[in-house]
Formats: sequence, structure tokens, C-alpha cells
Amino acid sequence: MNSATYARRNLSRRKGRTILTVIATAVAVLIFCAIRTVDVNFMAAVDDAMADRIATRHKVSITMQLPKRYIDDVRGIPGVTKATWGNWFDAKDPKERIPFFQGLAVDHESWFDVYDDMVVDPAQLAEWKTTPSGVIIGDKLAELFQVKPGDKLTISSGIYPGDWEFKVIGIYMPSRRTVDRNSVILRWDFLNNDPRAELVKDQIGWILTRIGGNSSSAEMSRAIDKLFDERDDQTVTMSERAFNLSFMGAFAAVLTAFDLVSIVILLIMTLILANTLAMSVRERTNEYGVLRAIGFPPKSIFGFIVGESLLLATLGGLLGCVLTYVLINLMLGPWLESGPMATMFPYFRTPPRVMALAMGLALALGLLAGLLPARRAAKLKVTDALRRVD
Amino acid sequence: MATESSNGASIVTLKDVTKTFYRGKEPIHVLAGLDLDVPSGSFEALMGPSGSGKSTLLNLIAGLDRPTSGEVTVAGANLSRMSDGQLAKWRSQTIGFVFQSFNLIPVLTAAQNVELPLLLTDLGGADRKSRVATALRVVGLEDRMDHYPRQLSGGQEQRVAIARAIVNDPKIIVADEPTGDLDRKSADDVLTLMDKLNKELGKTIFMVTHDPAAAEKASVQRKLDKGALQ
Repeated sequence: MNSATYARRNLSRRKGRTILTVIATAVAVLIFCAIRTVDVNFMAAVDDAMADRIATRHKVSITMQLPKRYIDDVRGIPGVTKATWGNWFDAKDPKERIPFFQGLAVDHESWFDVYDDMVVDPAQLAEWKTTPSGVIIGDKLAELFQVKPGDKLTISSGIYPGDWEFKVIGIYMPSRRTVDRNSVILRWDFLNNDPRAELVKDQIGWILTRIGGNSSSAEMSRAIDKLFDERDDQTVTMSERAFNLSFMGAFAAVLTAFDLVSIVILLIMTLILANTLAMSVRERTNEYGVLRAIGFPPKSIFGFIVGESLLLATLGGLLGCVLTYVLINLMLGPWLESGPMATMFPYFRTPPRVMALAMGLALALGLLAGLLPARRAAKLKVTDALRRVD
Repeated sequence: MATESSNGASIVTLKDVTKTFYRGKEPIHVLAGLDLDVPSGSFEALMGPSGSGKSTLLNLIAGLDRPTSGEVTVAGANLSRMSDGQLAKWRSQTIGFVFQSFNLIPVLTAAQNVELPLLLTDLGGADRKSRVATALRVVGLEDRMDHYPRQLSGGQEQRVAIARAIVNDPKIIVADEPTGDLDRKSADDVLTLMDKLNKELGKTIFMVTHDPAAAEKASVQRKLDKGALQ
């Protein structure tokens, strides 16, 4: 036997209370992990942005268009290796089977050179370049629409009226985990030549540029914006990360709110632990008096109680991590990734670092929860503690 | 288990000891100028009505409390001048406690309860186990080592508590109403055991009791009334 035996055995005194406290802690850890998982997976595309890819948009707003001739100016800047452009198509499923997916009208000659992390079979790419009404779509979206190369695909747009009929030419595969697999890529010239896009004819939404190895994205961004400084339509250029982040918009605020909720959850967990500890310590005051009488110093009493609190937090934290793994990584994650929510959550798994963070926080807050009751018990006078019988 | 020499020298000496408690601002003088000498190797019983200061006196001798004034010297140590930490260490080496309600830890076995004071020593696991077995053999419970307190009778629980009190080989055993929660038969067994510890192992025993039959087992009976020894 050692001192830890006593702390460990104390957990078995009131099994019901211990089990409920462990479950409450585990649920708090699970909720914390779930919230962080949403956060991490939404931000993954932002955090995983390519360092040598920068984006240029209208200085006023992303919704304002730029003249198409700007692309030639950008391509002429020293340090720029490749440049392409895209327009937001606001694609929708006319049958409303799929709640959200991305539709982009892009330059068919250069898009997949700049976005070489979207891998397309060369033969399909060659065919697309000769088929104006063709589209290349992500492998996940192809699964959702249940289409394959050669099939027809009808989508509608929130900007351009009516149904748009395309031919699926190819499927792109991601070479990196964070590449969106739910986009439909159509040709910009096809959109530009359609009368429904008359209002934005020869205009482009944004320019995407790959820069050479020796150029910094900040320098290149300044060089591009300087070029258009005296023009009617001025630009703002930023790293891909900043560009992706700007799309998050209001959702970033929601994520911040989620973060606050996760902190509140952890505080509730701390209060539950502290309450359990306080009740246990009160019930055992006489016992601590006996231990003090036979020679255990105050620091030992302190250690017994903090040890018990840490043990509770460890059990709750571990159970929470196991629940997270089973419920999120094995059940919810695969379901979200393959179901109609796949466009929102292309990848939804709790990374080990989030579980490690939750475990660390559970332990730290377990320690915090034990401090006050432990300090009180350690400071009790032996004679007072021996008199106390609850 | 070492046998103590009973040479008659004082192991407990109290000189002009007072103890005052406060109820709000009102002082309550529990002990007033008390002198006491307890010879080494004696078995003393302290009797007296409730509120006479018996437990207070016991707490002072056991180093659980300090006097308001006066000197308390036990086993050569002046307790009045020791810090809380020093007192805790001193108690673990010098005093064995027997309480009225046994005060065993319910989640530990008899052997683990007895082993508790040894966790404060430098003894290794094997030595601790051996001393625990010896202490339980002395109290006649070597066959109950792995039983939890709830699996023992009241008399057996008190004998385990006595084993816990002697496992560190203390110089003095202080007992606060050790038979108070026991039936007559169990009480007699416990008193016989304490007598054996006193006579065969030479342990000094200072016992507070209300039970005249228990007091009769002691070699010296003292009476305390209104904070003064009669």
C-alpha cells in the first residue's frame, strides 16, 4: 500500500456519485472536443493554405468585379509564375438534394495549373479544354450527385437565372486533405458568353497567383496592388490564408461563440468536480482528523484530496476522449463526410492534439477543483476535525 | 515489538498547565493550573464528569493541542514549544491513539489500516508487512488481515485500532473512551489486551473513561473535576 491507495480507494466509497461525476466530466470533455472539432475542421482549409498562392480582389468588396484585362497585367509582373481567375457561380441543386456546394466559373487554360492540388486526369482535362459546356467536379460531389464522366449535370445558380445544363467531363481528386472535394468547376468563357451573364461580361471575380520561390507573398501583394493603384478599379491582394479567412466572414464570429461555449462547459466541469470534492471532504473531516492525529502532516491531507480530484479528472478525461473517438471519429465523422452534410464538413475528425488539449485541461481544472477543499481540510485543527462527525 | 522499561521516571509531566477556550468573547477555563506526573510504564485511567476537561487533558498529552500556559513535557519533549509540523512528526513516533468509535478507514483492509502510520516511516514494503503482521498477531487478529472494517465486529474493530496504535512501537498509548462503543464482553477483551500491552510490553497507557469497570483495570485512577485533579 502507498498514499495513492487511500486516494484511489476513496473513489469507491460513493460509487454512484463517483460514476456521475466521471460521466459529467466525460460529457464536458466530449462537448469540448466536438466544438473544437468543428472549429479545427472549418479552419483547416484556412490554416493549410498554400504559402506561394496569393489572391487579388476588388478593393471595395469581394462582390465587386475586376476587368478581365487585369490578369494579363498580373502575369507580366516579375516573380509571378502562374495566374488564373475565377467567378462565383453560386451553384445550387435544383432538386435540393444537396444543401450546399461550391460552383466556380474559371479559366479552363490555367485554373488547374495554379490549383495543382486538385488533380485531374490529363485526358479529361484535355477534353474539358475543348468542351465549353463541360464541368469538372470533385469526387465527393460526384458521389452525391451520382454522376460520372459523360453524364449530364443540371444545376441552378443564385445569381444567373434558370437551369444550367452541363456535361461532366472529369473528376478531380485532392492531393491534400483540406482541398474541397465538393466543387463544380465550369468554364468562365461558357458563362461569359451566356446572355444571362451580360451584366458581368468580361469581368472576373478574383485573380489567383502563384509566386516564385524567392518572392515573399507580402512583397508580391504590394507589387500587384501598386500596379492598379491609379486605375478605376483598385485591388487588394492577400495571402491565400487571409483570402480563405475573409470567406468565413460571420461564421468566424460563430466559431468564436463556440469557443466561449467550450470554455463555459469546462467551467461547469470544474464546478461539478469541486462540488463532489467538497462533499467528500466534508463527510470525511473526522477521518482526516484521525490521519492528522496519527502523524500525517497537513501536506499529506492536501495531497490525498488533490490526488483524488486528479484521479476523478483523469478518469473523466479518458472516458471523454474514448467517447470522442468512438462518437465523432468512428460514427459522426464518417456519416457527415459521406452524407448530404459533406459539403459543409468534408473532413470531420477530432485530431489527437484536440484530445490531448482536452485531457490536459481536464487535469489542470481537476487540480484547480481540488485546491480549495484540500486547503480547507489541511488547515483544520486536529481537535476540531476529530470532533466533526457528519 | 520492543518492551519498554518501567523505571518509574515520569514520561508525562504537566506543570501549572492552563487551557482556556473562547465561546465568542467569553473565556471558558477548562484546565486551571494543573500539575501531573505519569510514571513510565504505568496504566492510568482518568475519570470525571462530562465537561471536566478529560479530553482536553488527553489532547495536551497526545500533542494534539497546546496549553494556554504552563509546560507539557512528554517522553522528554517539551510540546508547548513545538510547531504543528514538529508535533505531527513527534506524534507519529511517540503516541499510539485509540478512539471511542475506532476510527478505522472503511475503504482499507485491517492490514492496510494498521499499516497507515508506517507510511510515515522509511520502512520498505516487506518490513511494513512484517510489522503489520506482528501487530495484528498481538491483538489476535492475524486471520482477519484482509477483512474490511464492515466485516468485523465492534470488538474486532477496536482491536485493529489498537494494532494500528502499537504498530509504530510508540512510547505511550492514549485511549479516549476505548470501551465506550462496545458491549461488556468486547470491552473486557479490549481491556485485557491493553493490560497485556502494559504488563508484557511495558507500554505506558493513559486512558480517559466513564466506565468504572474499565478504570479498575488501570493501576492508577485519577479523577478530574472542573479542570482540577482530585
